[in-house]
Amino acid sequence: MKTFQTKMFHHQDTKTPGKTIKFLGFSPSLVSWCLGGKSCLMFLVLVLLPGLALAAEGLSKDKMVEILKGIDLRIRSGGDYKALVYLEQHQKDKPDIAQEALVYRRDVDQKLMILFTKPKTDAGKGYLRVDRNLWYYDPTVGKWERRTDRERIGGTDSNREDFDQSDLAGQYDPQFVGEEKLGNFTVWHLKLTVKPGIDVAYPLVEFWVDEATGNYLKRQDFALSGRLMRTSYDPKWDKLFSDIKKDYLWFPHEIHIYDEIDKGNSTLVIIQSVDLSSLPENMFTKAWLETKSR
Amino acid sequence: MSWFLLLLQTSFRNIFSSFLNLVIGLIILVGTFFFVVGGSLVDSIDKGMSRSIIGSVAGNCQVYEASSQDSPAVFESWQIPDLDPIPDFSKIKGPLMSDPNVSAVVPEGINTAIVVYGNTIDQVLEKLRKAVSPGTRQPKAVVDSLKAHVRQMVSVIQTDMGKVNQIAASGSFDPQAGEDLKKASSNEFWGSFDSDPFNHLEFLENKIAYLIPDSDQIFLSYVGTDLDAYQRAFDRMEIVDGQMVPPGHRGMLLSKYDYEEMFKLKSAHRLDQIHEALTEKNKKIAKDPDLQDLVKQNKLQTREIVLQLDPLSSQKAVSILQGTLNSKETDLSKLLSAFFDTDDSNFESRYKVFYDQLASLVELYRLKPGEMLTIKAYTKSGSVDAVNVKIYGTFQFKGLEKSGLAGSESLMDLMSFRDLYGYVTPDKIAETKALEKTAGVSFVSRDQAEADLFGGSSDVEQSQQKAINDKAEMGGGAKVKRVDLTQRVYTQDEIEKGVAMGAAILLKDPSQLKATMKRLQAICDKDNLGLKVIDWQKAAGNLGQFVLALKIILYFATFIIFVVALVIINNAVVMATLQRVREIGTMRAIGAPKSFVLGMVLTETVVLGLVFGALGSALGSGFVMLLNHSGIPAANEFLYFFFSGPRLYPGLSLGSLIGAFIVVLIVTCVSALYPATMATKVSPIEAMASDE
Repeated sequence: MKTFQTKMFHHQDTKTPGKTIKFLGFSPSLVSWCLGGKSCLMFLVLVLLPGLALAAEGLSKDKMVEILKGIDLRIRSGGDYKALVYLEQHQKDKPDIAQEALVYRRDVDQKLMILFTKPKTDAGKGYLRVDRNLWYYDPTVGKWERRTDRERIGGTDSNREDFDQSDLAGQYDPQFVGEEKLGNFTVWHLKLTVKPGIDVAYPLVEFWVDEATGNYLKRQDFALSGRLMRTSYDPKWDKLFSDIKKDYLWFPHEIHIYDEIDKGNSTLVIIQSVDLSSLPENMFTKAWLETKSR
Repeated sequence: MSWFLLLLQTSFRNIFSSFLNLVIGLIILVGTFFFVVGGSLVDSIDKGMSRSIIGSVAGNCQVYEASSQDSPAVFESWQIPDLDPIPDFSKIKGPLMSDPNVSAVVPEGINTAIVVYGNTIDQVLEKLRKAVSPGTRQPKAVVDSLKAHVRQMVSVIQTDMGKVNQIAASGSFDPQAGEDLKKASSNEFWGSFDSDPFNHLEFLENKIAYLIPDSDQIFLSYVGTDLDAYQRAFDRMEIVDGQMVPPGHRGMLLSKYDYEEMFKLKSAHRLDQIHEALTEKNKKIAKDPDLQDLVKQNKLQTREIVLQLDPLSSQKAVSILQGTLNSKETDLSKLLSAFFDTDDSNFESRYKVFYDQLASLVELYRLKPGEMLTIKAYTKSGSVDAVNVKIYGTFQFKGLEKSGLAGSESLMDLMSFRDLYGYVTPDKIAETKALEKTAGVSFVSRDQAEADLFGGSSDVEQSQQKAINDKAEMGGGAKVKRVDLTQRVYTQDEIEKGVAMGAAILLKDPSQLKATMKRLQAICDKDNLGLKVIDWQKAAGNLGQFVLALKIILYFATFIIFVVALVIINNAVVMATLQRVREIGTMRAIGAPKSFVLGMVLTETVVLGLVFGALGSALGSGFVMLLNHSGIPAANEFLYFFFSGPRLYPGLSLGSLIGAFIVVLIVTCVSALYPATMATKVSPIEAMASDE
């Protein structure tokens, strides 16, 4: 239990000396003051003892919402975002598909664009998300099509949410399932149900959040009927300091997605590099994506 | 011999001598009648279906890669069989054509495409975007007309939202949507449109268009083939609208049946269906719930037309409808609803008004010959690819115009088919391998995922920002060059040297099918072509087995009838024999041997069977001839296909007549055997001593 408490409230970033990660609403200064000062005992009484109770009874709803907000906040860039992404699709009885794409985001305006660059046959194809519209453009035929949030990006098992910012706290109501082990990791298992009137790709989601880092490591998406649609693992997380955000932007280095309907199909997404430089003002438009092919 | 003649004479004399004989005779009569009529009908359906299947897509036989998991099923486009591709059609054509009975070898492949239509406003906005884009720019009058049309649509959505707002609970609508609609209908918005059309279009596409959720997608089955070779080989095919795809061009011919079903304005198609039912099938709206349902749908679903009309056309339509209905109503939707509220007395006049006056204002078909269609299909690699194909026209098969099955597949040129099939070329495999190698990752199996991925410790890394060069990632240039293939003309060599999923083989003498198939299989084996030859019936999949199923049902029913008949005849003859114990005893007393008695009972029963069997066969034949004269109407589109036309004209089947004769002979002989043996055991003394 000691390990649990320490990890929960004091995660020292070992690879960035001097940087302490703000976690679960406790600022680094408060945590260090409590642990280093005379008020340590008071801290234990006020905070750790309720923590022990939480572990026994599960996380409170407020705490779970806080965890989700924490995830949303970490993934949000605050400014512009560009990533080079590799997608690999394994299919039963079919050849593998490998693609590369550039992902552009402007989180403030909730805009996203995915532009495929490789292989040659897919170069110039892309997705554009503006507000609640997800558009797909195929330069081979010069047409735009509306797609839903369940769209299999580039024919893989990934969908838009795997590349976009997240709004878990705004879209879902959490429920605590339990504290579990995922390999060597101790995780909180949460069950999320979509809030009324909100459109999402999957209305039911189960999350396994690493107690130590607050990153989600495993996610299972369910249809409304309760049927499991896909399982994804995010075992490695990277972070990059954003000058605009004045904090770190977190992103999963790799996502392993397993299709639970077509068993044997799976997708590997690797975010190879991220660039937080400003993007051209007018780029999240159909006209811009069209100009990438002629 | 004289005995036999005597027996025959006695048998004929005794045919109507007892009521029991009449019962036996009637059973045999009904059985043979059923056998002859049923057999003739099944044979005729068999011939009709074979004409439909062979003449539309299958040919007399088909070849496909022997290594394939499935076999071709040319009419089962809802479940595309898993066939391995024939890598180079040109290499198999020559050897197959070397058989003297082969007249044509036509490459074929079947697939299902998806045609996605955005919602109604998306479609008009797409036209407007093209009209203001460099390269496809249209004259100002066209742009203005499209702008007016969009504005009209915005107004329709606003009115609809207002109506729903009144009856729906507050908060049903996003207030932002109301604000956006207000902006999109304002004079300021349209006044500034020309100065910055693309930003205005983005606003309409993203803020307004999603409010009309009427987008649509069509699943279109097609046969990818060498269109010229196909037309030459399948001579029942005829062009209905437009023209044949010019030789060597990419292009598509839509099946006329699908064209009417899927591409026609729904209200118009429903009117056609009602018109056909009233004029050709003598149905009445008042008595037919299906027709009433079509009328109801037309009354309720007027939006498709309302959204299609620009302000000028709307005004014209209102004027036409006011005149027709003698009404002062100005709401187009209400007028259309009243116009489509038809009954048996006014339907034909409204139908005429629709086609004579209203049809010119709307787009009757959302796609016309000469236009480009964007179609997508799942490729062999599992991804979705799209191509633009020019629709040159529509086609149908003579005599099968109204068959949904024969018209279930459209025709596409082989080059476009290959693009959509997504044959994984060695170049593409090499490109994928290079990408995989660069990424340097290894696949983690589902079963081992948690152990492999979470077996270590927490793994958080701080990345360093790395500038991503878009141009370099796009292959050195910022833009990807696309080539328009729709104008390219391909040589016959290019068409034939490439992938095909199979081939239809047409024979000069179809009666030699089995022998020819044997020879063709031998050629394939000898030349190591790796092909398997199957007949049209197998190539048609489950449909081809339909006749076999019909035959099994017929033979089973006949078998049951004759088993029952056998038991009844047996009992009846036993009873008849018992009634004649004194007569038989007397015969035996005056010197008739046992064989005479045995022969007598057997001959009498067989003669009875043959006489009534012949009568049943004659009646059955007469009935078949009658049906042959009048024809059996195809009540639905499936029967249209099975009959290979609107009516089946059954021919008398010689096989059924011979079969009926043999069955009657066997049944009567077997059923009379026991009573005949019993009769031989009658003792003359006991028989003569017994009472009547």
